[in-house]
Amino acid sequence: MEERHLIPESGVAADQEPSQEAVEVVNRREVRLRPGAEEKLVLQFMDSLNSYLSFSHSLSSTLGQAWMELASARHSMGTARLNTSLLDLKFHPASTTLKIAECDDDSVDAKARFVLRKWISSEEVGEDEDSNSTKSPEPADDDDEVCYSQVRRERAKSLSVFGILIPPKLRAAQQSFERALETLVEMANMQSSFLYSFHQLHQEVEDTKE
Amino acid sequence: MANRAQIPTKNSALIAMIADEDTVVGFLLAGVGNVDLRRKTNYLIVDSKTTVKQIEDAFKEFTTREDIAIVLISQYVANMIRFLVDSYNKPVPAILEIPSKDHPYDPAHDSVLSRVKYLFSTESVASGRR
Repeated sequence: MEERHLIPESGVAADQEPSQEAVEVVNRREVRLRPGAEEKLVLQFMDSLNSYLSFSHSLSSTLGQAWMELASARHSMGTARLNTSLLDLKFHPASTTLKIAECDDDSVDAKARFVLRKWISSEEVGEDEDSNSTKSPEPADDDDEVCYSQVRRERAKSLSVFGILIPPKLRAAQQSFERALETLVEMANMQSSFLYSFHQLHQEVEDTKE
Repeated sequence: MANRAQIPTKNSALIAMIADEDTVVGFLLAGVGNVDLRRKTNYLIVDSKTTVKQIEDAFKEFTTREDIAIVLISQYVANMIRFLVDSYNKPVPAILEIPSKDHPYDPAHDSVLSRVKYLFSTESVASGRR
């Protein structure tokens, strides 16, 4: 059923001659209204929302542990050795970054997909910016040792801001915050998914009201 | 909203933070800290002396920078600029409200969850069809 009453992208009223854009929007909407698509969207919405809430609960627990370990490290190192006044403003790129990809499920809108890239060395960050490559952070089998030593080096560099003698609790706190980061990226993906489903369902409600 | 949402793809995007000292220090240990050539950072440490204006400016800056993919903000800080956070609706950067040591996370105050919860009210999809 053709739905010419839909508001086209150009905002032209329904009784005027529909533009090419409006016709394309109508055609895409016909594809999205196939049977079962709405139920699939509702399920996707509920699943991703449930996952988001589960991850947020897990995040609270992980962060609680991380703060406790940080407090223990501060207790053994002293407050003066573990605070933000030690952070300098010299140029340095982030070692842990994100890759953003676009997920397109054959619909009008797309959703973002975030991928965490941990402990990328500063040389690799420069190469990525120059070449815009999609180099994977996972190396080949022969490079496992190189990768492991790179990760250890980057972790040590991050800890060295707070001195040379690093207590085990600070290393443990670092690993806890890394786990928290992984959870946060999953939360961002779930959020993107349920917002995408929500937008589709919201459009459906608006069209039904019209 | 009929226009297709543009998702900017990027290989090395940053995670920004607006949070208390311990949370920022922890995530800096995890390697997310970035200082560019203009000495601009991707984090704002919120303490008792931080003003609401500073928090608003940081939020606006982080959500308009093209190199930032996720903005982490402590929920108690987000409550100080709730109107600004509620009015944000872009897919990237994603805004994630996180707990802090003294303020546990409350899903009822989360901006994103508040936006979608009306689907479970009497104005839900199912009731709209009757």
